[in-house]
Amino acid sequence: MEQILQFVLSGLSQGGIYALVAIGYYMMWAATKAANFTHGDIFMLGAVSTVILAGLGIPLPLAMPLAILLSAAAGALIERVAVRPFNQGPSSVGWMLTTIAIGLMMESAFTATYGPLGKPLYSPLAQSPIRISGTGIYPQELLIPVVAIAIMLALEIFYQRTIVGRAMLAVAANRIAAGLMGINVNRISMIAYAMAAGIGALAGILLAPVAEASPAMGALIGLKAFVIAIVAGMSSARGVVFVALAYGVLEKMIEGFISTGARNAIGFGVMILLLLIFPNGIFGKREVVKV
Amino acid sequence: MKPHHQFWLILILGFAGLYLFRELGPTNYAIGVLTRCMILAIVAVGLNLLIGQAGLVSLGQAALYGIGAYVAAWLTLRADVPFLPAVVSGVVAAGLMGAALAYPSVRVRGVYLAVITIAFGLVFQNVLVEWVPVTGGTLGLTGIPRGEVFGVRLTRQIYFWVAAGSLAASFNIVYALTYSRYGRAMRATAQSENAASALGIDVARTRMFAFVVSASLAGLAGALYTFLNLFVNYETFTFFQSVSFLLMVIFGGIGTLLGPLVGAGILTYVPELFQDFREWQVFFYGAMLAAVMFLMPRGIVGTISKLAVWLTARPQTRDAKPWPSPAALPVTMVGGHVEGTVVAEIKRFTIRFGGLTAVNEASMSIKAGTVHGLIGPNGAGKSSLLNLMSGFYQPTSGTMQFLGAPTAGIASSHLARRGLARTFQNTELFGDMTVLENVLVGLHCQYKATLAETILRLPRFFTEERAMVGEATQLLELVGLTDYADELARNLPFGHQRRLEIARALALRPKLLLLDEPAAGLTHGEIEQLKELVQTLTAQGIAVVLVEHHVDMVMSLSHEVTVLDYGQVIASGEPAAVQYDPKVIEAYFGTGDLLVPASENERPPVVAGSA
Repeated sequence: MEQILQFVLSGLSQGGIYALVAIGYYMMWAATKAANFTHGDIFMLGAVSTVILAGLGIPLPLAMPLAILLSAAAGALIERVAVRPFNQGPSSVGWMLTTIAIGLMMESAFTATYGPLGKPLYSPLAQSPIRISGTGIYPQELLIPVVAIAIMLALEIFYQRTIVGRAMLAVAANRIAAGLMGINVNRISMIAYAMAAGIGALAGILLAPVAEASPAMGALIGLKAFVIAIVAGMSSARGVVFVALAYGVLEKMIEGFISTGARNAIGFGVMILLLLIFPNGIFGKREVVKV
Repeated sequence: MKPHHQFWLILILGFAGLYLFRELGPTNYAIGVLTRCMILAIVAVGLNLLIGQAGLVSLGQAALYGIGAYVAAWLTLRADVPFLPAVVSGVVAAGLMGAALAYPSVRVRGVYLAVITIAFGLVFQNVLVEWVPVTGGTLGLTGIPRGEVFGVRLTRQIYFWVAAGSLAASFNIVYALTYSRYGRAMRATAQSENAASALGIDVARTRMFAFVVSASLAGLAGALYTFLNLFVNYETFTFFQSVSFLLMVIFGGIGTLLGPLVGAGILTYVPELFQDFREWQVFFYGAMLAAVMFLMPRGIVGTISKLAVWLTARPQTRDAKPWPSPAALPVTMVGGHVEGTVVAEIKRFTIRFGGLTAVNEASMSIKAGTVHGLIGPNGAGKSSLLNLMSGFYQPTSGTMQFLGAPTAGIASSHLARRGLARTFQNTELFGDMTVLENVLVGLHCQYKATLAETILRLPRFFTEERAMVGEATQLLELVGLTDYADELARNLPFGHQRRLEIARALALRPKLLLLDEPAAGLTHGEIEQLKELVQTLTAQGIAVVLVEHHVDMVMSLSHEVTVLDYGQVIASGEPAAVQYDPKVIEAYFGTGDLLVPASENERPPVVAGSA
């Protein structure tokens, strides 16, 4: 029983990271029907640049928002340079290749300069674990899913209450019609990418104190988050967060009851199976073909 | 240069080059490198089919390559399976894995395949490392014996030619598929899913087929790699290798015949120059990918051939012929159903989108050899009703009988094969295919030649292809577009696009043809010609449903008219009767007394601008 509680808590923590990255994929997808394929590297950028900034002597409360701003700028730049020119027409795949190219370059540039090894980030919440009936967990880890849910709720308010948020929903529903209503579709897309990148960077910063910041930290997490967003149906932040948290817990259960080595294979198998059962994603609506 | 000339030229020059290379007396190392290059080219050739024809991207090609390699290695080492069956097993295993990955991911959106394949690639690596008893863990499988075929030991010198032969065979398969109905179907699904399924093409199956072919070729390459390298290890089958396969295709030129071969050559020999870059090597690959995408998206071969076309192009004059020319009607379409028999019977069709009832208990009976007009104000549910009939929507309730069989739950592509054709309100042509190819896609389901006959280019393939091109040309003549046969569809003027779309729909040899606002955007003269064409078709017993805002056209053509308003049938019957139906007048113009002069009206006249 205690063991299961432990799996659930650490699973929610892991799932919170997936959720924050997957929300980004959802936001980008909603705005442009494309995404920064290597969004995981933005997550990495958030963590690594915070470590670098802190290393330069900038105090953490300043370094973290700086890193988030930097990542958001990178996200906006990627939208402008690598996605927009290569996303013409419904079946274009160019954006996929250009964003992968940028991801590869980012990751390897950091490996060459920052070094391939992870470096820790200080956080007062990752100093002494809380004991929950024999097993320990850092408060930092408990913070992650809380932040994920808070961001999700904030996003929902943003989408419903703000003019930019509503414009984003309009663009998601129908890009052309939104443009005809006077919405600057390109700028909204850019904002969506910047926000997605900011949220992704925040996830990296949250994870760094418990898992260290390394150039390779983003690749796998980014990919899993993309799969999670697809399985969730790319239809709402709520659905994405739900699937992400569930997937995190599932992974910890597999690790605990079967083996660490089987985690990815079984987890991925489950995702494929879910997609087989729900072709439009679990929370996705069947898209009405416009003919 | 025609594709089949290109194909033979590449094949002959390729083999001549390989022969020359061997005559120069290369070192064993050089032979090994070129053999490996040819093996990698097999993967690239297969991937080119997926990207260039089906418009899908796989980023897990290295893992499928790895499956072929590990299956062949394991069978040889642990079960003493000889070379040929081991290679075949590698191909089959990779193909099956391809099917398992493609089926769930391509149904909704092709892009998902890229995500699923990447994830699969990473899991595959994981399994290779962790599943030690089978894969040998990080050490991999070592000590694989050289292959033997019919008593001949496959030394490096001989294996060189095995790889060359396999590459030629793969090249042939991809070439044969590309320039056949299979390739056309793939291109069609990439350019317009809706139009493809309206022409009887099963989009998900076509995509899956493309992926299975490319996966099988990757498996073949992997199995061949095993008997070249004689040991396999997880480090060969990385995501990085998948990107490198992708680079080969893009670098060479997506969709070109020669491209993947050139790309494989460059990416085999160039990295040897990059060895000094060390940790920056991956960066360099990324930079290369970005550079190609930004500067030369057509790739090397694509850019050069575009340049060649541009340099040699001569202006041509093309004329649209008068249309319709009923004499050109293909024999396959002459004489259909007896006029008056019921082709389609719709009973109480209803569809709701959330709270909106777009079509509400609509019933219609459509008879062979007649035009059934469907009119109503904007938003009345006409297009929704067409989408219901053609299987694009499934009704919330209600039924339809088409040629005596119920259509419930049947996909649009299957209805199309039964003889239900349609056009689209916003024309959905395959813009990057030629006018002739567009019509040939419509004939897709009439082909009888099997996959094997197509790949081996057996006589039936040629006779059939000729017959189909003949029929397609006749259909183009019917609508007066023969001169434009080799023009890209997107270059046609709008009116011609409408004509082409009708010709393409007729290629299905339909029993029922649904026309969704065919006259929108046409000139007055064109509308008259269109009317003539519709009459030609009904004379052959085809039933036509005509959704149109040109009331004149509908009234003069239709034998029966159904009027929709707010999703409900408000009137149905002969045109003349419907025209004066008060409900119809109300639906279009509001209540009747507005047009009555004020003096005869008891109410005070409405003064504009009064508060």
